[in-house]
Order: sequence, then C-alpha cells, then structure tokens
Amino acid sequence: MADTMNHIERAVAALGDKPVDRLTAYPLAMGVCRRVVGDGKMTYRDWVSDPKKFASAFIEGQKRFDFDFAIGLMDLSVAAGDMGSVVRMDDQNTPFVTDPALKTVEDYEKLTVPDVKKGRSHVLVEGTGLFVQALGSQLITAAFLEGPLLSLTQAASAEKVFMDMYNNRSAVHKALKTITEYNGDMVKAMGAKKPAGLVWDYLWGSYSCLGDAEYEEFEGQYARGLNELTGKEGMAMCIHNCADLPHLDTQIKAFKPAIYSMAYYPLIPGSPSPKETIEKGYADNCLIGGQIDPRASCAGARRRCRRPP
Amino acid sequence: MVKIAQVAGFLGSGKTTFLIELVKVLVDRGHKIAIIVNDVGEINVDVRIVEMYGLKAKEISGGCICCQIAGNFANTIAVLQKTFKPDLIIVEPSGVAIPWGLKRAAEYSEEEMEGEMIVHAPVVTLVDALRIDELITSVRRLVETQIREADVVFINKVDSATQEKIDMSVKFSKSINPNAEIMFGSGRNNQGVREVADLIEKRTSPRYDETYEKEMLKREYGGKA
Repeated sequence: MADTMNHIERAVAALGDKPVDRLTAYPLAMGVCRRVVGDGKMTYRDWVSDPKKFASAFIEGQKRFDFDFAIGLMDLSVAAGDMGSVVRMDDQNTPFVTDPALKTVEDYEKLTVPDVKKGRSHVLVEGTGLFVQALGSQLITAAFLEGPLLSLTQAASAEKVFMDMYNNRSAVHKALKTITEYNGDMVKAMGAKKPAGLVWDYLWGSYSCLGDAEYEEFEGQYARGLNELTGKEGMAMCIHNCADLPHLDTQIKAFKPAIYSMAYYPLIPGSPSPKETIEKGYADNCLIGGQIDPRASCAGARRRCRRPP
Repeated sequence: MVKIAQVAGFLGSGKTTFLIELVKVLVDRGHKIAIIVNDVGEINVDVRIVEMYGLKAKEISGGCICCQIAGNFANTIAVLQKTFKPDLIIVEPSGVAIPWGLKRAAEYSEEEMEGEMIVHAPVVTLVDALRIDELITSVRRLVETQIREADVVFINKVDSATQEKIDMSVKFSKSINPNAEIMFGSGRNNQGVREVADLIEKRTSPRYDETYEKEMLKREYGGKA
C-alpha cells in the first residue's frame, strides 16, 4: 500500500495520538546507516572523526531506509572519551572504553568539564548540525546525548560507580555535577543547530540496578535541569532507555518526555509489556517507541525469511 | 556445538582468580578453551593466562547491555569459533550484565556459524561471603539480579569469611533464588573449583526461551504469536 502521509505528517500525527498510514519509524540505526555510505567500508574511527562523514550516514541511510526520524546517536562513549578514557575503535564494531579515565575517588573530584568544541563532542555537534540542515525539511531530526550517570559509568566503569555510590557518595556527586555541566554545554551547542528534538539516554533508570530513591539521587536531580534546558533551547525532550524494569513513573510521568523509546523483556518478571505500558497510562501524554531487536532484525531474520511467491 | 559457561559476580567477588583456577582444571582435562571477559581493567590478568596456557582471550565491553554488547558478543563468539575452534567458551560478564541477555546474545552467533549450535553450561554466580553485608547494602539490586538468574550460586572466599557471613550469604541467595544450587569454596585456594568444572562439563542450562516468550505474548494479545 502506498504511503499517504509524508514523514513529518506521520510523525506529527503519531505524536498527537492521531491515526497514521503506516507504522512510524523512529530508528537508532546509525550502524546500518554508516554501512550504506559509499562502498560500505568506512571505518568507525573515520566516521566519528569528521562531522561530514558522521552526517553522511544519516543522509544516505534516509535514502535507503525511508525513516520518519533521524536520530544522531554516535555511541555511548563520546563523553567518556573526551574526559580522557581510552576508547577502542575496531574498524566496524561499536567502540568501547578499554581504560577508564576515572580510576580513583580523587579522579572523580579532579574531573574537569570537557570542552564541547573539541574531540568527539565537537564532531557530534557539528555532524548533527549537518544532517539537520540536510534532512530537517523532510523528517523529524533529533540530537542524541548520554545522560550524566551513563557518561560517568562509561568513564569509570559501571561496577566501580555503583560501589562508589555507596562508599564515596560525595565524590560521585562531584563528578556528576561536572558531567551535568558538560551536558548543559552540549544541549546549548545542539540547540544552536536546530534539531527538532534531543534524545537523552537515561539507561540506568532500571529497577535491576537502582531503586527510586537512588535513581532520584544519582540521576533524577541532574536530569530534571537538563530536561528543562532542552526545552528552553527549543528542542522537544525525548528519552531512550533500553534497560529492563525501567523507571516509567519517573522517566515518563515526572520527566514528561515527548517520546519515550524502550525495550521489552517478556522473560523478566515485572518488566512491563507493551499492553501494560499503555493500560497504566504511560502512553496518555507521551509517544512510546517500541523496539525491533537489532540483531534479530538483521541477522536472525535470514533463516525466518521466505521469498515471496 | 559450542558450550558457553557464564561465571558472573560483582566487582571484587573473586571472579578472575576463580576463573584462572577453573580454566587450569578444564585445560588439564583436555578442553580447548576461550575466555571472553567483560571487565575493564582485568584484561591483563587474562592475557597472562593466554600466554601460560595457549588459550584465546577476547574482551567485550560497553554500557548498553541489550544493543552494544549483543552485537559485539555474538560476533566475538563467531570469530573465536572460526579461528580458534574452542569446545568451551567461558564468559566473565560484567557485574551489571544480565545472564539471560548474554544467553540470547550468544545464541545470535549461530547465525554467523554454519551448523554450530550454542549450548549453555549452568550459569554460575559468585557471591563474595567476605563482603556480603556491604554488597546487599550498596549494590543489592544488581547482586539480586545475578543471583536470580543463576543455576549455581558459588559462595566464594569461605576460607576467609566467618560462619556468620557464610550463613548470611546462603540465606540471602536462597531468599532470591530458592532453586539455585548452592556451592561453597574459594578460588584462591582452589576449593570447590573442580566441582564447578564438573558441572560445567556435564550439565546444561536452558537456552533463552523464545518459544516461551512467544507463548507469553500470545496469552497477552491473543491470536497468532
């Protein structure tokens, strides 16, 4: 069936809880988009080192996949890398931190605010600006940033941070304040590029990791200011959280994002199903983005696919 | 067939020491072993094992359990299988990884390995008896998650912990996962390691149950799953 809406009409209708002509596609598809640029052999390091190359993935990806949104996720180690962590980048794999910048309690306290005009932060901001310029009239564009606690766990290792939340509480807060300041600078820089929205990755809002009080203490209080700043800078505030047992009351009902994308874990007792999410009112004032498992859709699909008759 | 054995546990639970002893036992029994670690900072220890035993070690990392690790992990298993052909892959996940998530990610590698099937050994979660009171205060939810999904809870460091702390570790573990088998020992003194090696060799743990997942969805939504 042919589409009867353009991308912006479809996205706006979905946001307004109106009927749409087909399922609205809100993708975190930077990996597959990167692979459709040129001969598909651009290395990860090249992609994240040049704003034009970063933007080209979303521009070329849009030609190939016809999404309704372009969301500028680079990876989750951008801030950690710019704080001094060593990030390993294989040619095609998702990069990861091999040597965290923050190893001691003193390191938390000595952390300084990374300069958003340098490093991968700069590439992310400028690259986002370029794809917003190229695609903004056709579809909904959004910047993507890691929340403060996620950046800290990348820069110090998650296990260490979780232990230090208890054993070295004030030092963890000092680091979170510094990272929140960096995040504030990033929001302002992104706002100047005029994407329609900004997606925050608040991954640790999971009852597998933190209770309500801990989540409020170590992320909520910092996130609230950043969420507000996002709106002030002219971007719709969106949240991505693919953890199990997500903090929906805080992240949807209290934070009030325009869009909340989440993953579903049917085998984890208590993890909300799509039906429960809707029944409990989380979708009343928020567009809930579901998931297509990236591995299952790319790799697992092959053996289940049948050629049409 | 590739057997995957997860040895989970929070930072400082003695995973790496335990793993070294476990690998020595399994190598002596003739297994060809690869190790996948997910612990930033501890890779050097495992590199030493590689040098000592001619094993293969690979590391995975990343913050986002469901997306980032899944891709890297599956690919790592497939590459190991093609290049090194281990009969047993031991995985040392981060203390924040979810065992079932790694099972599913491991099974994804079947797509990249022609005809090879992933089989899971029992998931072993190490509980640090020395620090049990600290763990259940500071990172209780994370520890609970790993115990809940364990087939075997190995109460570690029993040679140094008081009986009171060992009892507390057992009580805590059973309150979360009454079905888990409880074992005791100390990786440092090679206590209980052979018994865990026996379990890994002889027993299996269920695969990530896609059929059950579909049934649950069918019950909730009706019609065709």
